[in-house]
Amino acid sequence: MSLGPVLFLAFFGIAAIWFGVVVFRTQSMVRSAIALLFSQTSVGAMFLVMQAEFLGVLQIMMMATEMSVMAIFMVMFMMDPGGMGKMDMTHQKRLSLRAGGIGLVAALVVIWTAGWQGPVPEVPGADEQARMLGREILGRSMFIFESAALMILTAMIAATMVAVAPQERDRP
Amino acid sequence: MIPELMIALSVGAALFGVGLYGALSQTNLVMILMGVELVLASALVNTVAFWRYLHPDVTAAKMYVLIVMAVMALEMAVGFGIAVARFRARGSVEMEEARELKG
Repeated sequence: MSLGPVLFLAFFGIAAIWFGVVVFRTQSMVRSAIALLFSQTSVGAMFLVMQAEFLGVLQIMMMATEMSVMAIFMVMFMMDPGGMGKMDMTHQKRLSLRAGGIGLVAALVVIWTAGWQGPVPEVPGADEQARMLGREILGRSMFIFESAALMILTAMIAATMVAVAPQERDRP
Repeated sequence: MIPELMIALSVGAALFGVGLYGALSQTNLVMILMGVELVLASALVNTVAFWRYLHPDVTAAKMYVLIVMAVMALEMAVGFGIAVARFRARGSVEMEEARELKG
């Protein structure tokens, strides 16, 4: 076991959790979106530490775009995006806290009692990993990959149809 | 024991707990989506950790990560579509005011 990856994993992990908590603690919705961006970026950094370079870069790039869009939607739709009015936008706090706490504790119990055994196998280099993933996508998992593409297309059309303003002739 | 795996899985568990709390406690649709994003991020961390520390030879795990990432993007796209429609109809995306959606 080398100390470097352990320290970096712990650092980015704590950052991801901390920013995740800030998402629901801050009054400003724009800050919430930025905190979520930092949390997801920390997750991407964890991927890089775990030597999944392609997925790490993909995660950071995807989340940067996604959270920028989210921040725009926040400003558009929120009554108080800056949080100046100190509005409370929560409900059933105790139940939510209990559900989140139970989920966390149950997962931790399983993780810490499972007894994962080493040694940790070696990982191929980034270029070899990309080659293997390409072969996987265009080979055994091609049907799943094509299904995902179809799913994205369907969702894009559905989201546009839902969001588009109803025309006068569509009204009953 | 594999300390790196334990740390990564514990981070995943914490993200799941925080995300679940957020998705259940928020009244705004966009904030609920943020909670769901955190839950999905925890699934990503777990999958990459299992791939790296237990089975780095199984590339299908990365395929699964790509599918979860696609689901994250789709969830946001469809969620925002619903938010736009709701905002147009009612002028708000507060879920407390959406009681008529209850079956």
